[in-house]
Amino acid sequence: MIKAESIDFYYGEYHALKNISMQMEPNTVTALIGPSGCGKSTFLRLFNRMNDLIEGTRLEGKCWVDGVDIYDKSVDVDELRKRVGMVFQKPTPFPKSIFENVAYGLRVNGIKDKKFIAQRVEESLRGAALWDEVKDKLKKSAYELSGGQQQRLCIARSLAISPSVLLMDEPASALDPISTSKIEELIYSLKEHYTIVIVTHNMQQASRVSDKTGFFMLGELIEYNDTKKIFLNPAMEETQNYITGRFG
Amino acid sequence: MDIKRKKRRGLQAWVSWWIEKILAASGGITAFIILLIVVFLFKEGVGLFQSPRVDEGYVLLMHSSNEVDQLSADELKGIFDEDITNWAEVGGKNQAITSLRLDQIMDRFTEEELGGEYEYLSQRMGELIATTPGVIAFVPTLYAPLDHPAVQAMTDNTIALRDFFVGKEWIPTATPVPLFGTLPLVMGTLWVSLFAILIALPLGLGVAIYLAELASPRVRSLLKPVIELLAGIPSVVYGFFGLVVLVPWVQRVLDLPVGETAFVGSLILAIMALPTLISVAEESMKKTPRALREASLALGATHWQTIYKVVVPYASSGISAGVVLGIGRALGETMAVLMVTGNAALIPHTLMQPVRTIPATIAAELGEAAAGGSHYQALFLLGAILFLMTLIVNLMAEALAKKQHNKGF
Repeated sequence: MIKAESIDFYYGEYHALKNISMQMEPNTVTALIGPSGCGKSTFLRLFNRMNDLIEGTRLEGKCWVDGVDIYDKSVDVDELRKRVGMVFQKPTPFPKSIFENVAYGLRVNGIKDKKFIAQRVEESLRGAALWDEVKDKLKKSAYELSGGQQQRLCIARSLAISPSVLLMDEPASALDPISTSKIEELIYSLKEHYTIVIVTHNMQQASRVSDKTGFFMLGELIEYNDTKKIFLNPAMEETQNYITGRFG
Repeated sequence: MDIKRKKRRGLQAWVSWWIEKILAASGGITAFIILLIVVFLFKEGVGLFQSPRVDEGYVLLMHSSNEVDQLSADELKGIFDEDITNWAEVGGKNQAITSLRLDQIMDRFTEEELGGEYEYLSQRMGELIATTPGVIAFVPTLYAPLDHPAVQAMTDNTIALRDFFVGKEWIPTATPVPLFGTLPLVMGTLWVSLFAILIALPLGLGVAIYLAELASPRVRSLLKPVIELLAGIPSVVYGFFGLVVLVPWVQRVLDLPVGETAFVGSLILAIMALPTLISVAEESMKKTPRALREASLALGATHWQTIYKVVVPYASSGISAGVVLGIGRALGETMAVLMVTGNAALIPHTLMQPVRTIPATIAAELGEAAAGGSHYQALFLLGAILFLMTLIVNLMAEALAKKQHNKGF
């Protein structure tokens, strides 16, 4: 379970997130939608402290992951990021073999047991519905895969370290429709084991894969409810306008 | 829609036509000049293997009973240095060798015997050789008593390819035949360059990583121009610094007989290669996509793990380009190396010996080599060898970059 409470976030002077409180349940997919620059990606990146990497940012409020205040001084950021996996907009395979890409998270965690690594790699690739396509070329460079395969590889890479939360920042926006539908099926099947938060620009995608949807605009959380409710009967006019494509 | 090609007119079209032509021509001319230089190097050098070993105007004389008619350059040197004292050592009969040069011959006669204009020199020489069966004499052809029945001239060979490429001694001024063994020079060049890179690579990589990943923007903006400034210092200044500071220091600290060693040469070259290496490596590390870095951190990797598992591998083609540029500079660097390596043309066995590199040899000796002579040709061939060495290094670099590119690195 992840929770945000009264979050205010600043890039220098710019007030990017305004007093946001939100709670995501385990084993659900929560979609964050909204026009570009509304702060949904910034919000997502709070939960694995990716925003720490950007200089001149400031956070007020609190974030919890599995009951831990993740911005507390006692938190080891690297440990947090092992618990909270992230998949990025563009596939970002490392300049390594397919096998080594998936094994990366295990290796940086100091795991040396070869048998365990091989087993974990296979499980993760199966989990990401990629195993059958790559099982014969695990030693090949990850760059030889197609864009969709690369993205599933990145998902497998995140799964390998057994996180409890999976953050996805527009994971299908750079992919073709077939690859996209594969990723969506994957997201659907993954929610059994993970808490998933997905940022997307694609309304249909949000309605297809998510259980709950939050609508962001200009740094504010306008509406957060069951996906069905948001898409069929939104409470706010802005939400209505956005999902029907009248602006944004 | 009118999309037919229109005839362009006016000044602008004319100017752009000419600019295109000038650009094309300058590219062609540059390529042509480079080709010409290479052709020139080989053309000037290749004559070496057609030229006789003994200097023009000189001849080697022996007693006509001597059966030895072939001597290698090394053997001749041995004989005239009196290291070889018996014909049996070089495949002849058991007989002591008497090696004579012109001055030694003249010392044996009085001025009257030779004649005021040396008109009897040839005759006296003939008599001397006739009475000394084990003789070998190195004399000007002008005075050689070639028609004397007891005298035979040694058949002279041209300089052998083998002697040039695997000869172990480089003594271009040796008489009767100069020794053009390039092995010590090639080895010297390789040793100095190789160790320069071995020193520069870890240091340069360290600085590059620091600049690209760890330094605060303020430190970086201070340090980078300073490092780039290093590239602008003339090599003679580096050489001067090496000679005055490093050479005595190395001699004292390591307790060596001489401080001018391959080690100091490598040290100076390493310092000279650093700015290029650092700049190129740092830039390619900076080019590592932000997304890749974040992906690594998002998997729980630490900053250091991200650096050595993602950033350095990603930048490896840039780093190897920097290394190759460094080697290229090290191979061809002349002045600084000339000043600090001691220039002894010996095959080095340790780093703590003086060595002589190819560029230093060319720079030091071209001025005293007679144009068109064998020494001159040998120096040009050395230039060609150096060119080939750098060419091989460049091709290797290209192959490396290509390989990595294909792998997606």
